[in-house]
Amino acid sequence: MIGDTFSWLTDPAHWQSTSFDTGIPGQLGAHVLYSMIALAIALVLALPAGLWIGHTGKATWVVSAANAVRALPTVGLLVLIVVIIAPHFYGRTNAGYLIPTEIVLVLLAVPPILSNAYAGVQNVSPAVRDAAFGMGMTGPQVLSRVEFPNALPLIFSGFRSATLQVIATATIAAYVTLGGLGRFIYDGLAQQDYPQMISGGLLVAALALVADLLLALAQRYTVSPGITGRMRRSDRDGYDVGPRGGPDSRVAVLNEELASEAA
Amino acid sequence: MKTKLVALAAAATALTMGISGCGSDSSSSSDDGGTIASQMIFGGPPEFKTRTDGIPGLKENYGVEFAKYTVTDVGGPVTVNALKRGQVDAADLFTTNPAIEANDLVILEDPKSNFAAQNIVPIVSKDKATDGVKEVLNAVQAKLTTEGLGELIGKVANDKEAPAAVAKSWLSENGLDTSGTSAKGASLTVGSANFTENEILANIYAEALKAQGATIKTKLNIGSREKYYPALEAGSLDLFPEYTGNALAYIDKNATATSSDDVYAALAKALPSNLIALDQAEAQDRDAIVVTQETADKFKLKTIADLAQEG
Repeated sequence: MIGDTFSWLTDPAHWQSTSFDTGIPGQLGAHVLYSMIALAIALVLALPAGLWIGHTGKATWVVSAANAVRALPTVGLLVLIVVIIAPHFYGRTNAGYLIPTEIVLVLLAVPPILSNAYAGVQNVSPAVRDAAFGMGMTGPQVLSRVEFPNALPLIFSGFRSATLQVIATATIAAYVTLGGLGRFIYDGLAQQDYPQMISGGLLVAALALVADLLLALAQRYTVSPGITGRMRRSDRDGYDVGPRGGPDSRVAVLNEELASEAA
Repeated sequence: MKTKLVALAAAATALTMGISGCGSDSSSSSDDGGTIASQMIFGGPPEFKTRTDGIPGLKENYGVEFAKYTVTDVGGPVTVNALKRGQVDAADLFTTNPAIEANDLVILEDPKSNFAAQNIVPIVSKDKATDGVKEVLNAVQAKLTTEGLGELIGKVANDKEAPAAVAKSWLSENGLDTSGTSAKGASLTVGSANFTENEILANIYAEALKAQGATIKTKLNIGSREKYYPALEAGSLDLFPEYTGNALAYIDKNATATSSDDVYAALAKALPSNLIALDQAEAQDRDAIVVTQETADKFKLKTIADLAQEG
């Protein structure tokens, strides 16, 4: 079975799109597209809302309500929305299936982004926030320059879990006539072509890992080193000024001790 | 400063992901001067694309090649909706689907029997099939039609009537519910698979036999053929509404018969000695290529072969 899966994945015919069959790159592209549309919409909706709720402490019930949405069965909801929406679209459009798919994916992506943005801002140390206000910053300034950067690691982790979930779940697009990597899983099952089915699953997993890796990289370069603990303590607490900390008196003492021991 | 960096990083991520998205399908418009089918999008279940009587069979038997294939569902609401709204031009549906009648869809004739016949046939245990039982069931078989069966399914699926009630009213409409004694003394267990049509048929057989004095037990909604056929063979079920083509294909994997009479004859031969097939009904529940009335008029379509004409 492993050999069959490998030969399915390496068969050049499966990497080319004809007018009748869409190949792996085409379905991968469609999958990424469905996922990105959903994530972009979810980000636009949930991130500002989460930041605002965390900053003001108002309407926290929204976070609980959004979390409750996670309990909705995705496939059931998808079919329900398709039944309601699809008959309103005529002609060669797949909007009647794409819109329902994006709705259910957005519903999946909103809760982790929203609750992590909220929790991130909420958990900023009150001392830091007070200090910022004390310096004369306005509310929006505190949010954008102090709370947001401090909350960024949590915001990223929320977005990353939303991304994973959306990429894994976008396979259901195939359930309602659309493409995406779910096509291989769904068709493989129906055609009893199990290598195709397993390959589809592997491709989804690979895509999820690559997306997470990219986001991890983005996180590494955007989150301030000061709040991730990636800087050596001496850099942060260094008594000497300078971007790299400069020579530290304690290190110098240690070096002297090591040198004397070696001698 | 930081926000700018975040925006930049997000844009970079989006770009990297977006580049891989660029390969997605750009459907090319069909060239002029091809066949009618070459301008059409076909909708059907995923396995229809590879099944021998699916797309490969249409090509071999009729030279029909569609421009694109959209996977919809197995003869269900998604396929019907896609056909009605023009997302697909032709689709694979089952002949007894009530949506065909309700939406004025046109079944294209299949003169070369690309799809194996699926006439409805009662399979009975030999030692339970008394002359009376045979007589009662064959009378029922003579009245079953594809359209009539579609109506009955519609009553259950759309009007939410119980299969047993639908079966009873059909029997009385056809004058088959008169009480008598022709099946007196017979005692049978009737089974059905887990879909509406089969359940209605089992109920029809059961009620018709009851009216003629037989003792009937029912085991409905059993599941797939892999589950019920062994029970039928072992004798724990005595009567089952079957489909000639599928039953034959299950018993004999290498069967090649496709026309109604050939399939029926082959099935009678293939059945084990303790089971017999009664008369086959005119009613069939098989795959069919279906188009809208509008499409049929536009291209003057009557049979599947017409799809291979220049359009």
